[in-house]
Amino acid sequence: MHIRVEDLTHIYARGTPAERVALRGVNLEIGPGERVGISGPTGSGKSTLVQHIAGLLVPAAGQVLLDGVPAHRRTPEARARRRQVGLAFQFPETQIFEVTVFREVAFGPRHLGLGADEIAARVRWALEMVGLDHDSFAERVPFALSGGEMRRVAIAGILALKPQVLILDEPTAGLDPRGRKELLARLRGWQAQTGATLILVSHHLDEMAGLVDRAVLLADGQVVADGPTRHILSDGARLRAVGLSPPPAVALLEALRAAGWPVRTDALNIEEVVAEIAQHVTTDGHG
Amino acid sequence: MNLLLPGMYFAADSALHRLDPRVKMGVATVLMVLPFAVRHPFGHLLTVGLVGTAAILSRAPWRALLGTLRTVFWLGFFMFFFYFFTTPGRPLVALGGVTVTLEGLVAGAMQVYRLCLLALIAALLTYTTSPLQLTHGLEAMLSPLASLGFPVRELGMVMTIALRFVPTFFEEIETLSRAQKARGVDLSSGAPWHRIRNMVPILVPLFLSAIRRAEELAVAMEARGFRSQPRRTHLCRLALSRADAIAVLIVLACGAAGVLIR
Repeated sequence: MHIRVEDLTHIYARGTPAERVALRGVNLEIGPGERVGISGPTGSGKSTLVQHIAGLLVPAAGQVLLDGVPAHRRTPEARARRRQVGLAFQFPETQIFEVTVFREVAFGPRHLGLGADEIAARVRWALEMVGLDHDSFAERVPFALSGGEMRRVAIAGILALKPQVLILDEPTAGLDPRGRKELLARLRGWQAQTGATLILVSHHLDEMAGLVDRAVLLADGQVVADGPTRHILSDGARLRAVGLSPPPAVALLEALRAAGWPVRTDALNIEEVVAEIAQHVTTDGHG
Repeated sequence: MNLLLPGMYFAADSALHRLDPRVKMGVATVLMVLPFAVRHPFGHLLTVGLVGTAAILSRAPWRALLGTLRTVFWLGFFMFFFYFFTTPGRPLVALGGVTVTLEGLVAGAMQVYRLCLLALIAALLTYTTSPLQLTHGLEAMLSPLASLGFPVRELGMVMTIALRFVPTFFEEIETLSRAQKARGVDLSSGAPWHRIRNMVPILVPLFLSAIRRAEELAVAMEARGFRSQPRRTHLCRLALSRADAIAVLIVLACGAAGVLIR
């Protein structure tokens, strides 16, 4: 699905003393199958933007076009497009309400009006996608699971809708480092298998590095940078200017550079950092 | 949230905001009784004048104030037609088997007018008085009952907490309904039975989080050594000012005049 955000403006509590402009004329285009990360400091409008893409909010000005159809309209075409956009809110496990994991994951597909066999197949597939064994989890009570498992059940509930566009709002917030890594790996696997569009909202830049090819930076409701992940993440000065801290890999190389090492700073992970340092240790005889 | 809820507080600095909460609550009570106690049109004019003046002094946006009337729309709607059709008097029009009377029209309109005033007065009180002040004022007014063993301070604490979480609660409903909408629930159409069933995905998580929050809050209060037993003092003591005296005098004078005119 082709997503086009045109001059999108959103104002909360309009006409009251609490009025707040969350988005100011945002323009953005996301093609089918793209993997995009959206980052920015707290209150920069990330969550508002993705809720617009899912057609859940009505713009104050501008619009979001899903394959050319305004996302927020109450028409059958708009509804059909919205159904192709899956959005997992922040802390999606707080929305769990069913009595078993199976019923929770089946909730979305059931609303699509699918048959029992298709629903069962989708639940099995979705649980597998997030790394939960269907047979040992399906009949368990979701509220008795651990936080990380509940998070994965909630995300499976979105995956079971088989969306063409998957939006995850801070999917790893509150998870431990291992749960974080595992979830990101599962999402990478899902994206590789389905080829769907992935939009990841996060202010952890290092976790974006391994998952998305393109990064969009928001600050104060505006797009301040949009480009290849490597390019955006290695610009430590710009990241700090909008109130984000660069990924540890970039920060380390920047520190080395400041100390006089002629290293490049556009490394995205620890392996690249090691390679970059190793190169200079041998050629310059620093070791 | 695009909707302004009645019961919300607007942090601002207006003449009404600065009044003593006890005075505001007392005055609000008097103003709420007036539309029922007054008989003469001049008395009603005075009442509307008082409420209007308060609305202007509050510097609350008009749209927000009028927006609160939406919450009583259906109640007003039914009350109007109830009085409209059931009041005996001079027949105005006969619609089918029902006779509509002039008295019914007047009585219905009166009920709607009273309802609107009540809603406006309540909204003005909460718009201009922070939950903390409201509770403080109520505690002060009820304090004589404490000697009779009535748990005034506990009640105050319960009220503070309840008021504090009203906006949070509504925000949560907003978020949850959007989240479930994103999973394909259609909340605004379908047969009544379906609509009720579609509330389950919102209500269950809502209550779960409310209970969890209550538990966390209780633990947090315990951890900070909260006890209701020893009498706590307030950082800001309530004190009546000249403006308070003037407000009370004006409202009482106008109220008395309105009630006494026959």
